[in-house]
Amino acid sequence: MTRWGMVIDLHRCIGCYSCVLACRQEHFVPRGVYFNRVLIAEEGKCPTVQKHILPILCNHCKEAACVKVCPTGATFQREDGIVMVDDKKCVGCGYCAVACPYQQRTRFEDPKLEYFPGQGFTPYELLGKELFPYKPGTVLKCNFCMERVDDGIKNGLVPGKDREATPACVITCPANARTFGDLDDPNGEVSRLIFEKKAQPLHAEFGTEPSVFYNKV
Amino acid sequence: MRQTQPFDYMVKYTQQKNWIDGRGNFIAFAFFLGGISGGLFMAAAYFDSLLGMFIAWLLALCMGVSYMIHLGQPLQSWRMFMKPGTSWISRGFIFIMLFIGLTAVTLILARWAPDATAAITTFKVLAGIFAFAQSIYTGFAVSYVSAIKLWNSAILPILFVVCGFSGGLAIMMAIAIGNNSTDINAIENITRITLIGFAVILIVYLWNSTYSSNAAKAAVTRVVGGDIAPFFWIGVIIFGVIIPITVSVVTYFIGEASNALLLTAVSAEIIGGLSLRYVVLKGGTYEPLTSTE
Repeated sequence: MTRWGMVIDLHRCIGCYSCVLACRQEHFVPRGVYFNRVLIAEEGKCPTVQKHILPILCNHCKEAACVKVCPTGATFQREDGIVMVDDKKCVGCGYCAVACPYQQRTRFEDPKLEYFPGQGFTPYELLGKELFPYKPGTVLKCNFCMERVDDGIKNGLVPGKDREATPACVITCPANARTFGDLDDPNGEVSRLIFEKKAQPLHAEFGTEPSVFYNKV
Repeated sequence: MRQTQPFDYMVKYTQQKNWIDGRGNFIAFAFFLGGISGGLFMAAAYFDSLLGMFIAWLLALCMGVSYMIHLGQPLQSWRMFMKPGTSWISRGFIFIMLFIGLTAVTLILARWAPDATAAITTFKVLAGIFAFAQSIYTGFAVSYVSAIKLWNSAILPILFVVCGFSGGLAIMMAIAIGNNSTDINAIENITRITLIGFAVILIVYLWNSTYSSNAAKAAVTRVVGGDIAPFFWIGVIIFGVIIPITVSVVTYFIGEASNALLLTAVSAEIIGGLSLRYVVLKGGTYEPLTSTE
């Protein structure tokens, strides 16, 4: 059985935000909503300042808290581990957003927010509203670019290896910090990186078994 | 108040906002109404007060309205019956609907078929069971969230039930005063015990949270000494605990208290109950995603 996952090498990440931009471009993510973030913090004083960079996204947990708490079944998990939201079923109660330990869900409230306030929607935003008609009052989140993954598999491509079948944030990363692949394939690149670099998920203690791992070593 | 910066998620305890800020306030209000409605029904059923049961029914309807206002897609709310197997919100929705339905039947029978005592008692007991379920589920819905350590406590459902019951007793007291009922003394006695129980459970809950995890300790520190401390000390402690207990003790010693004093205690308890839900929901904080320390 396939279970899609990702390894993020924090030594390689340079905090350029290209993953964030690629994600927004791929899904026409409305203003105020984030599928992908890069958190950057500085610690210490000159000359011993340390910079910490942490790219975060939905962890597509195997034991996802959001799936369990959703009262309508709008949040569900596919057989390949991708956690999805069906906006036709979502009532926008926000329980999933509250229950997510990684705070990776956003309730889409205001469809009138423009990227350039007061200047109207750009042609790009208008196109996005046609292609991705997100419903206000529902919860949005990263879907591991399942459209790319599914189309790629249909066309005989391998997600994680072929660009067309791999999430946008992964193929865009100029530092090659992100690796996408099948966690259940013991010989795959993702499993190898987790084993060799001792990659860990965020907050494993919550028992949600995230599918996104971070290499800090 | 300072805006949350992106890196705050990384290194600081961040407050949950979905269930308290903006429309999220209606969830706190719904939880309060659910608790007080359940508590009032149980008290009214015990003292056989039709008016009390009717007010509990109205409060449950108000709870439903408050929920609807909170929802992003209220027209889809019927779907919330779909997953009682794993979701406390789904279970709660079922409890509320059953409570409203069973209470309505009880009220109709009691009003228009008072001789059907067996049926009235059966429906009253069933409604009482769901009144309790409606009262306690809000605590379970919150305590199930393991990501927020202040909430993730087995004491919380008990605290919410006891708080709801004390609020319900307060309304029952107001009804008894209005009707010049002979039950006032009995209600006072139960209220006294409930209030002391509420105060003890509240202290145990906060004390227990301080050593359950660093995140819970930070949340408790914020509750008792941070930006939400005024709501805690004035709303929960002064209105919810000190004023009603003082009135209770005074009435115990002087034998009979004035109605004005009792109504002060009633109002204070209701404010205290609402403040408790607000403080608990507002106090919920997530652990940092990582720490630079």
